[in-house]
Amino acid sequence: MRSKLLSVLAGAALAWNALAAQAAAQTKEITFWSHWAAEMPKRTFVEKVIADFEAKNPDIKIKATWYEKTALYAALKTALRAGQAPDVFYAEPDQVEYMDSGFLLDLSELNWAAVEPWAKEAWMYKGKPYGLPLEAWTVELYYNKKMLDELGVKLPDNLQLSPDAFLDMVKKAKAKGITPMSLGAGDRPFTGAHLVHEALLKKLGVEDYSKLLAGKLAWTDPRVVETLTWIRSLTDAGLLPATFTTMKLAEAHIYFHTNPGALTFLNGSWYTSRAFNPVDKGGQPEDFQLGIMQFPSVPGAVCNECRTIAVGGSYVANAETEHKAEVIKFLNSFLSPEVGNEWLENVKVQTGIKSDPSKMNDKQASEYFAMIAKTNAGAKYHFGLPIQVMTGKPKEVFTQVFNNAFPAGNISVEDAVKQMDAAN
Amino acid sequence: MPAFRAKELKGDVRQPWGTIVAFLLPALTFYVALTAYPAIRTLWNSFHRVLPRREEFVGIANYSELIKDEIFWKAVSNTVTWACISPVIEVTVALLLALALYAKVPGARFFRVAWFTPVLMSYIVVGILWMWIYNYDWGPLNTLLRAIGLGALAQPWLGSPDTALGALILVTSWMWVGFNMVVLLAALHSLPKDVIEAAELDNCGWSAKLVFVIIPLIRATLLNLVVLSFIGKMKIFDLVWITTKGNPLWSTETVSTYVYKRAFEWTTFDLGYPSTIATVWFVIVLATVLLLTWLFRTREKLEY
Amino acid sequence: MPVLTRTLVLLALSLYTAFAAGPFVWAAMLSLRTTTEIHLNHFAFPNPAHWEKFPDAWYNSNYATYFMNSIEVVIAAVVVLTIVGAMAAHCLARYRFRLNRVIYFILFSTIIFPPQITIIALFQILVNYGLYNSKLGLTLVYVALQLPLTIYILESFFARLPADLFDAARMDGYSDWEIFWKVSLPIALPAVATTVILNFILLWNEFLFAVVLITDEANRTLPLGIQRFIGDTQEDIGMIATGLMIAIVPVIIVYAFFSEKLIQGMTAGAVK
Repeated sequence: MRSKLLSVLAGAALAWNALAAQAAAQTKEITFWSHWAAEMPKRTFVEKVIADFEAKNPDIKIKATWYEKTALYAALKTALRAGQAPDVFYAEPDQVEYMDSGFLLDLSELNWAAVEPWAKEAWMYKGKPYGLPLEAWTVELYYNKKMLDELGVKLPDNLQLSPDAFLDMVKKAKAKGITPMSLGAGDRPFTGAHLVHEALLKKLGVEDYSKLLAGKLAWTDPRVVETLTWIRSLTDAGLLPATFTTMKLAEAHIYFHTNPGALTFLNGSWYTSRAFNPVDKGGQPEDFQLGIMQFPSVPGAVCNECRTIAVGGSYVANAETEHKAEVIKFLNSFLSPEVGNEWLENVKVQTGIKSDPSKMNDKQASEYFAMIAKTNAGAKYHFGLPIQVMTGKPKEVFTQVFNNAFPAGNISVEDAVKQMDAAN
Repeated sequence: MPAFRAKELKGDVRQPWGTIVAFLLPALTFYVALTAYPAIRTLWNSFHRVLPRREEFVGIANYSELIKDEIFWKAVSNTVTWACISPVIEVTVALLLALALYAKVPGARFFRVAWFTPVLMSYIVVGILWMWIYNYDWGPLNTLLRAIGLGALAQPWLGSPDTALGALILVTSWMWVGFNMVVLLAALHSLPKDVIEAAELDNCGWSAKLVFVIIPLIRATLLNLVVLSFIGKMKIFDLVWITTKGNPLWSTETVSTYVYKRAFEWTTFDLGYPSTIATVWFVIVLATVLLLTWLFRTREKLEY
Repeated sequence: MPVLTRTLVLLALSLYTAFAAGPFVWAAMLSLRTTTEIHLNHFAFPNPAHWEKFPDAWYNSNYATYFMNSIEVVIAAVVVLTIVGAMAAHCLARYRFRLNRVIYFILFSTIIFPPQITIIALFQILVNYGLYNSKLGLTLVYVALQLPLTIYILESFFARLPADLFDAARMDGYSDWEIFWKVSLPIALPAVATTVILNFILLWNEFLFAVVLITDEANRTLPLGIQRFIGDTQEDIGMIATGLMIAIVPVIIVYAFFSEKLIQGMTAGAVK
């Protein structure tokens, strides 16, 4: 009797151990921090990818925490140092400090065949890729079709106004009390600078522009000064809102499409992630007629078809993660044309994942991408925003001067170029 | 501040060390672990490049870089300007208000409470409130200016390099005048009545009475408040951080915001350079406070 | 005072009062209106007064968490500060020993330390000891932060107590600890109350150390929580105003209760 009881107990104990061991090996949890807490299309997209992944991999759970960008960066900066960083997190290619300090996992194992080569390039550091380039975007000049018609301005076929026509349009808008261009530099270090860097890129062409950003071409170069003077003439004519320096990104969107309504809006092509939200969440009005035109041609430019393309939101992995295989699996789940298309359809922003815009079902998305395709037809690209290319002191000075002070009219052209050259 | 009499032994009882140590140990432990040691560690950091995985000794490289750092000197200039202007405004206005209350204006109790409320608010709350007040489109300040026909003066107060710092100085003055006033009022009330009455008997005019009698008597309090205000502004961080973060064009950059940015928002993880800034700043603050204390050293008590 | 001067003075004072208290009143009005109403007219009186915004902010915007975190951290810090500070102050005030004034001076002089001199290293230290991003770590830092001021105020009070009090107690056979706990402390209650209130107010509103040492959403204190709302989304002015009111209320209550004591205490150190 006793031996029988013992054997039953032993059997039970063995079974229990086996079950426990299995259970312990069961769920692995990957922590995931991301920006886009308030950008519903992107957030929903990522949450769907997560849900699909968890369905296919029942033994892996993803714990996602959503942040606003500034809060995320602050949290990461200290968490990484303190060894409390998550397994996967949002980053943008300008954050070289992560790679410099060895915080990121080398992602060479990912399925790079599914990624556009130029997008992969953005994340290369010392020959290895460190980020999954999910979001890619160009700088587009959005405009209110109805307002433009009312002002009696007609766009040429290539959608690019000449400098005189553009200035004329600005003056017409001002005469009617409309702000010609909505733009805000209150809470982002790159939005205000769009005006300057797109113009400089067109004037100088990709090669010299790269030299300029790398500090190998002086800012006192006459072409640079001419371009800046031209921009100053526009801002003097009242191009930007009076509250430019303090206007936040979200406010700039609303300033353009809802209240008080501006003629144009110079913004990244991820405009859709906020503007295509429901109206009560900051989206554009139902009947808003959105158009996209080219940035005006710059006087004396060598490359009016040059534009900036940047890799934006990406996902990177913590070098110290304990779940390396699972993290790679998770990131790979993003890399398929179907997922790429889903991003295009739902988020309506370009992506680094190879995808096929012609295969889209959503009407709004197809129309929108048709507009984007038109403005990007025949474009020559420079990869990366100035702040993604510069580091340290020049980056800080560039941000203060060209993102904020110069467009606002608070610093002269001479002082601006002097400061930039001094910082290099 | 109490005079430091190093030679004099304080206290009335000589006791065995055991008790003394027992009483002092907790406080001293906190102090050493969380104040003294960090300060020394910061000094040590300042001679290194402090990266997440390693530290490299770089000698005085950080210091020589600091000397050439225009942003640092701009921040110092802003902070020192702030620390010099604020006390003057805060103490002067507070004195006038305290005198008004001292002269037994009706509703004194109510005024006192109303003026003291700004002191109770956190800088975060104050910052948000004043960002709204300074708002270009609908803030009360610009609305008021437009209502009384001075619309031309309306501007983005916190967005323009010329006005941003002044705007912030106004905010801190708004906060601290109430505190200074309360202190001065108490000081006025503690003045010996006979001296005031004697001055009145001597047929002193109102302003003469003020300048020659009252102010000298509360001189120590006035100076204390000036020094307190000065120190407070040299340390300021919260208000700038929540409103302008040092923008535009570094016109509101203070040493504390610059240290924070270099430590936690720069393109490297290096903590050495910000430690250098902190060390140099510490020396500057110490020197200026000692200078002020020496300048304002209290003379012998006035005989009366 | 002649009537004309008196009326002029009253006028000036009233203008100043509008200036001093105006923002607070405006914030209170905003806190009771919805953001849509506010955008229509920024200065209208709340009509109707949306009292439901307060529970809404409390439960839905995480204010409850931030508020409770602040309560935990600040009360813990103040309790420790009072006990540790009083012990040290009592010792420095009443016992004669050679290092007495040196220690006092060292502790007192740290009042002028700019926080930057310690904050970076504190970050490193807390990380090393696993106290980073924890309420315990923040509490300990807060105690160290306010210790100099607390000791300064209490020491000057303890020093003024008459010596005969202690002689009598000693003759009655009280031990040193009993003298501190049963004689000094009870009499020093006004000064202790002052430090309690001062520390409460200063730590309740403290921001810099909190923002560096706490990043976890669950551990945020109230000032950090409020700052989070000035985020990327379009400013929800109504909600932020409600949050501001929630942050201000405890301090106003503490002040209203203890205003006399507080003013006495605050002036005790500054008036010479």
